[in-house]
Amino acid sequence: MSRTGFDPELDLMVERVIRAPREALWRAWTDPRRFEQWWVPAPALCRVERLEMRPGGAIVTRFSEDGSDFVPHLEAVVLVADELERIAFTNAIDSTWRPADPQPIAMTAEVLLDDHPDGTAYRMIARHGDPATRGRHAEMGFADGWGTVTEQLAKLVER
Amino acid sequence: MAQYSEQVDGVFVALADPTRRSVIRRLGRGPTSVGELAAEFPITLPSFMKHVRTLESNGLIRTVKTGRVRTCVLNRERLELVDGWLAEQRRIWEERTDRLERFVIEEEES
Repeated sequence: MSRTGFDPELDLMVERVIRAPREALWRAWTDPRRFEQWWVPAPALCRVERLEMRPGGAIVTRFSEDGSDFVPHLEAVVLVADELERIAFTNAIDSTWRPADPQPIAMTAEVLLDDHPDGTAYRMIARHGDPATRGRHAEMGFADGWGTVTEQLAKLVER
Repeated sequence: MAQYSEQVDGVFVALADPTRRSVIRRLGRGPTSVGELAAEFPITLPSFMKHVRTLESNGLIRTVKTGRVRTCVLNRERLELVDGWLAEQRRIWEERTDRLERFVIEEEES
C-alpha cells in the first residue's frame, strides 16, 4: 500500500493494533480539537492553527510549555488524504508551499489504517532525508555518541 | 511495538552498571578477548562473566569462540536503538502513538 521504499538507516515504522475503529483514528488525526489532545506530551499544550486533511492542505500547529506562550511546532503540507485509509504529509514544504528547512529534521510521515479483528491495524512510517548533510552522529565516533546515550537516558528517567 | 520496547529496556538494563558501560566503551575500540577484558577489571572472573552474559543476552555484544579464546564484539546496531537522531525520532513517534492510542480508546469508552 505504501508507495515508496523503506530504508532502515533513514526511516522508521511504528506498528500497532489499536482497539478502536478506523473512524476513531481518522477523527483523532483530522479533527483539530481531537488532534490537539494527543499530538504533544502533557503538560505541554498544542494549538492547531490549520489542519486541512486534503492533498495540498496545510498542517500548522503551535506548542506551549506553560499555556501562555505558543511557539511554532509543526508546519507541513498534506500529500495524500484518503478518508479512513491513509494520510501522508511532509514538513519539507511549508504551508505556503515554499521549500523549507525544518528542525530538527525533514520528514515525510505516512499513516496507514487497516481493519483488524481487534480494531485497527495502525502503521506510521516516517521517512527522513539523508542526515549526512547535517552532520551525522555516527560519523562523530563512538565516544561522542556516548554523551547522547547518557543525555537520552536522563531524559527517559526524568519523564 | 512491544518488541522495540523490550529491546530498548534490555539496552538500558545492560547500561545500568559501571562495569558493563566500561566494557562497551572498551569494545568500541575493537573486538577483545574475554581474558584481556577481564584483566582490566578489578573483579573476579565469575562476576566479570556475569556482566558479559548480561551484555550478550541483551544483545549489546556478541561473543565468538575460536579454539580456547572467546572474543567479545560490540553490536553497535543494538546501541543505536537508544543513540542517534533516528532513535530520537523513533522515541517521539512511539510516544505520540501511545498518546493517540490512549486518546482513541478513552474516547471509544466514554
